[in-house]
Amino acid sequence: MLTRPTTEQVLVGIADELRDTVAPEVQSEPVKVLLAQIDQILRSCAIRAAHETAWIHDEADTIAAVTGTDVGWPASLHLDDVASWYDATSRVLSAALDDAFAAGDANRIAELKLLLDARSATEMKIVGALELVGRG
Amino acid sequence: MLDIEKMPELLGEFLARQQPAWRNVKVSSYEVMTGGYSRLLARAVVEYDGGTQVLVVRGDPPADRTLIHTDREQEWDVLRMLGQHGIRTPQVHFFDETGEHLQTKALVLDFSESHSFLPYAAAGGSLEGLPSRLAEALASYHAIPIDRLPASLERPESYDAYLTKRIDEWRRTADQHVEDLPILRYMAGWLDAHRPTPVPLTLMHGDFQSANLMITPDGHFEIIDWELASIGDPREDMGYFKAVAQVAPPDLLDDAGCLEMCARYRELTGLSELQVNPAVVAYFLVLGVVGTVRRLVEGGADYARGTNHLMGSVFNLNSVQYGHSMWLSATDALGPVLDQIAAAAKEMS
Repeated sequence: MLTRPTTEQVLVGIADELRDTVAPEVQSEPVKVLLAQIDQILRSCAIRAAHETAWIHDEADTIAAVTGTDVGWPASLHLDDVASWYDATSRVLSAALDDAFAAGDANRIAELKLLLDARSATEMKIVGALELVGRG
Repeated sequence: MLDIEKMPELLGEFLARQQPAWRNVKVSSYEVMTGGYSRLLARAVVEYDGGTQVLVVRGDPPADRTLIHTDREQEWDVLRMLGQHGIRTPQVHFFDETGEHLQTKALVLDFSESHSFLPYAAAGGSLEGLPSRLAEALASYHAIPIDRLPASLERPESYDAYLTKRIDEWRRTADQHVEDLPILRYMAGWLDAHRPTPVPLTLMHGDFQSANLMITPDGHFEIIDWELASIGDPREDMGYFKAVAQVAPPDLLDDAGCLEMCARYRELTGLSELQVNPAVVAYFLVLGVVGTVRRLVEGGADYARGTNHLMGSVFNLNSVQYGHSMWLSATDALGPVLDQIAAAAKEMS
């Protein structure tokens, strides 16, 4: 299997071609908007392709440590299995949040919130600068 | 409205039936309008013996192109009621309630000669005093007595029941998604733990944002697009406005603007500073976006399940993730302030 250029490189390359070569030739406004959306989606996909599996494992380790729960391992490293495992791990975090709010435990809520802040920081690395193309 | 070529004739026949006093009705121009997010829109110039009118036709898109399901009958009832109370919004005149005449259920309204607010602002139009005008626009329809609102609008049992239902919408949205969403569950818990001082429930616009505002020649706001109207906490419209304005400027409710708007709104409604203040507006910035968040998340879930193939559904998930970041930051800054307000309210009671 050839791994280079990486998936990230190829997706960014496609996004660049669409932006620099295809988009200037397009006259239709709805198609221009669609291309601008695809540009942002492709760049997010590139970042996910490069880092998603590692970031999911890092976050799962932290959730396990803070909640004191054995979250196990994904059935395999195929992305679908990793995503299913991430879902199960997220449920552990959600349950801990529900318990903390039900108990009115401010310290515990603050501790768990740090995990959400870290998750959100990862999401922002993926999203980048949000541009609401096609609005207004 | 689905077959543009036929519309001048169909609309002319419809108007002639609706308005027998108009003789020799002819639709001389029929142009599809952009800007409608969820409904089909067109501008029509109608000529008849002794007069000319410019009207807007607003109808349901075909089922497979419907982003949001809303009720045209309810919108008709709301628009007529707004007209009776003198609210600044284009007057509605006719309704094809079956779609028999205009190919889809459609309303016929006046065409507004006012400027759309966003292009006005983008062109450098003055924003001075507009936070106060915004308060006046909000207060105008929030002041309509609840018993005068259309029967089709759901009446919450109580303020607490209403707020509980809205907060639970965050949990329901998380529960129904294709993967777990702990940030939404956190937001529900946080909103529940920081409930604001209640106010009387009122008519809510439901999509109160700059894109749905026009500015009249004398500098007042005219409000359009009432399809998401409901009965709820009037401060949701303020929070929702701010939420959208932060990502689609200008933000009339920045620090100074929000203070100005709140002060003018209190003056007009008699509500207290504990009830209407920038911190409470920010609380509703979070709470008030839940309906939009639910629709965006549902779209992403449908794409993941393979039941829709709209690239926009994938793109919109970026907005949800951007929202995560914004809401989490808001809770850090707001929590202590809302706790202080709650303590002050408790002391006063």
